Amino acid sequence: MTEFREDLNPPKVCNMTLDGDPVEFTEGETIYEVADRHRREVPTLCYDKRLEAFGACRLCVVEVEGVRNPVASCTTKATEGMVVKTRTEVIEKHRKTLLELVVSENKSVDVDELSGYASQEFANLVNKYRARTGRFTGKKSGTSNTQDKNPFILRDYDNCISCYRCVRVCAEQEGDYAINVMNRGFHTQIIAEFNKDLRDSNCTFCGQCVQTCPTGALGDKKALRDADTEGEVKKTRSICPYCGVGCSVDLLSKGDKIVGVQPAMDGPANEGALCVKGQFAFDFIQNADRLSKPLIRREDGELHECEWDEALDFAAAGFQKVRDKFGRHSIYGIASGRAPHEAAYTMQKYMRASFGTNYIDNCSRA
Amino acid sequence: MAKATNKEIIERWIDEPAPLLPILHALHNRDAYLSEESITAVSEALKIPIAELWGTVTFYHHFSREAPGKTAPRVCTGNICCLNGGKELLDSLKSEGATPMPCSGRCDDMIPVIIDDKVLVGTSKETLKHRGTPMPVPNPGGFEECVFASIREPGRATLEGYQRTGGYAALRKAVTTMTPESVIEEISKSKLAGRGGAGFPTGMKWKAVADAPGNPKCIVCNADEGEPGCFKDRAIMDHDPFAMIEGMTLAAFATGAPLGFIYLRYEYPETEAILENAIEDARASGLLGENILGLGLTFNLYVRRGAGAYICGEEGSLLNSLEGKHPFPRNKPPFPVTHGFNDKPTAVNNVETLASVPHIIENGAEWYRGLGLGDHPGTKLISLSGDIQRPGNYEIPFGFSLQTLLNEWAGGPKDGRTIQAVTMAGLSGGFLAGDDLDVTLDDACIKPRGSFLGAGGIMVFDDSRDMVEIAHGAMEFFAHESCGKCFPCRIGTQRITERLDGSDSPLELNEWLTEVRDIGSTMKATSACGLGMAAPNVTDSLMKYFPEQVETYLTDK
Repeated sequence: MTEFREDLNPPKVCNMTLDGDPVEFTEGETIYEVADRHRREVPTLCYDKRLEAFGACRLCVVEVEGVRNPVASCTTKATEGMVVKTRTEVIEKHRKTLLELVVSENKSVDVDELSGYASQEFANLVNKYRARTGRFTGKKSGTSNTQDKNPFILRDYDNCISCYRCVRVCAEQEGDYAINVMNRGFHTQIIAEFNKDLRDSNCTFCGQCVQTCPTGALGDKKALRDADTEGEVKKTRSICPYCGVGCSVDLLSKGDKIVGVQPAMDGPANEGALCVKGQFAFDFIQNADRLSKPLIRREDGELHECEWDEALDFAAAGFQKVRDKFGRHSIYGIASGRAPHEAAYTMQKYMRASFGTNYIDNCSRA
Repeated sequence: MAKATNKEIIERWIDEPAPLLPILHALHNRDAYLSEESITAVSEALKIPIAELWGTVTFYHHFSREAPGKTAPRVCTGNICCLNGGKELLDSLKSEGATPMPCSGRCDDMIPVIIDDKVLVGTSKETLKHRGTPMPVPNPGGFEECVFASIREPGRATLEGYQRTGGYAALRKAVTTMTPESVIEEISKSKLAGRGGAGFPTGMKWKAVADAPGNPKCIVCNADEGEPGCFKDRAIMDHDPFAMIEGMTLAAFATGAPLGFIYLRYEYPETEAILENAIEDARASGLLGENILGLGLTFNLYVRRGAGAYICGEEGSLLNSLEGKHPFPRNKPPFPVTHGFNDKPTAVNNVETLASVPHIIENGAEWYRGLGLGDHPGTKLISLSGDIQRPGNYEIPFGFSLQTLLNEWAGGPKDGRTIQAVTMAGLSGGFLAGDDLDVTLDDACIKPRGSFLGAGGIMVFDDSRDMVEIAHGAMEFFAHESCGKCFPCRIGTQRITERLDGSDSPLELNEWLTEVRDIGSTMKATSACGLGMAAPNVTDSLMKYFPEQVETYLTDK
């Protein structure tokens, strides 16, 4: 019982010094979290705040007074009285060297922004630290798997920096465990089961690996179809139209064409997650076969376009006829699983009040 | 006899602690490689996702994934074996499917070749033959020894011989006349510190484990002796295995741990058999298992064999490997003393450390401290190899002169040669040369010179050797063994290797020096574990002692 009560205690507030400023933090926070909250721009490539801190890229190292070597701020907890410097000349030089090393192992720094949500992180840091110096030439790392025939995910590992964000998001967020890391050292590569194609693995093509990749090694193949289309990429916040969860998405458009979808990292229902449908199945929006007007099957047996008022009157008359002939329980209402609570409520109310039947259901129950 | 099925193999191990490695080895032994079918069966039984298990299997150098697999020869191309013709031997065995392997811990002998579970040594295809681990020669300086004090007694490797020559007196003394606290106190007073290289005080480690909450606690003997040029732990385990086992049992008594593992490197298959037999004999005589000596102590000990990964000598990687996970090092803190095997308090100790313990408990802390010279407490095993008359293992008092060890104990350089350089800590300490060969063997003397004693491997290179080539071999090793988790080590070891073999590297001296220094300094400052921090010691000391050889190398390219 005592232990249970202790859990209810408010978290302890502690003090530390960050770049000379006294700051407060909550016991359990990492140095990176404290620094980020205080708007210090600590660079990182392997960090994704939704995932367990990993400590691979070492760009987030900071100086801690009394500790000989810099520490990785993402994996080191802040402690009472700690004195931290996030940006000294020495630390910034190490960061630049690290970025120069990463540039030297990759095929390219710049990738199209349609590759994925985080795809510009690497290029942005390289530019900020002026790390395109051409130093440290040598073998390139990564074994590309661009022949993987799946229609959604580009696997261009010549641009992979082995941050393992894809592996970790697949395990920690999606729970698929479809990908992992093979070999070691400079020869590490990201693989699906037995180094085969994604579709022979547990992958559900949710695309979260694509969206967390900081270099565009993993790319959104569908969005990249429009890489050469004219125009700026515009993001419009919306809600995924598929199921009732209500995942927030950013629709990517060029001109008046929707070219891709990205999950909203701040979406309250999804926090950056989507499923294969919300992520990749948006082609229907601008498909030429999509109905743009209601259709009525007239006496000739063919479907004919009409206006909404006529269509609604026609449907109402049809329901009326059925009820008069077979009784009120001859009509059955099914709410779509894609409908939110409010719409489902309205549907059942409508069925009960207008038709007088309790025969209602929801397709999600099937 | 029909081959065991996947199911039979898995059922044999699945209820033991840390089952993944023994299951993989049993399947690897059965087929000579790990098939997709075997891995799928293990994945299902142990509930490890296939992608993760496949990644883990591919991490280890010695797990084959296709025929002929482990029946094909693996030839040591470590630094010392290359001096002796390792690469030529490899070429001569190519028709039999031979592949290279990194230093396999037999630098005091001819070139080792592992075929299946047999280790042969020789200098050519025709001379390969089996030979046991050389016995350390009697102490050339006449110093009193600790670890090697009884190792040369006939029959010492058997339980009967061990007990006849004083073995298990320390455990009896501890369990009947001491408390766990007083054992820890005695070890603390002895100043015994981690002999695997890190030098953490053993008493303090045990106390932290004893005081930490959580059960079952665990004792892990780090027998992954992967540092090139180190072969001392193999000598202890082959000739005095019960000393290490008794040391572990004392650690179990002191910390309250009922569970223990010996994590043994792949390259010591004969040692595995020796340890398994020793554990079985000890268990049958009531010296391991439940109710040890009839006094209520419980300690169950298991051998787990690695599969070829230097990084698994790093304790976080070792624990991940035992737990069946991808053997990346762990982020610290927390440390193993509170969150070790299965996140329970765990003492990870080196073989030499543990083998010292029974002697210390029997003879007292003061005796042990007094074995060192001056203020330096205790002794250290040194594995000496390379261009020296009498390579082998020597037990030296801390503070002992390197020159005396090289020239008097080990007979000095080969005829007509002079010693150009030695390595420290196997390879991790880089080189010492010139006036810095006049050091005493203790970190107080060595550390200010940018190196450290570490696990005690010392390789000797005479004046006929090209030091850039030696440094290249060393860096190639670190690149081969880098786990691939942290950027500075993963890319840095590769780039420095390229700078030492002339490929893809600047050839102008100042540019070369700046690049190598910048990479090295960033690796030392930001790497996640000791591998990446230590590797640049090789190039730092190369540039310090042999600037003219670096210049010549660049001019000749």
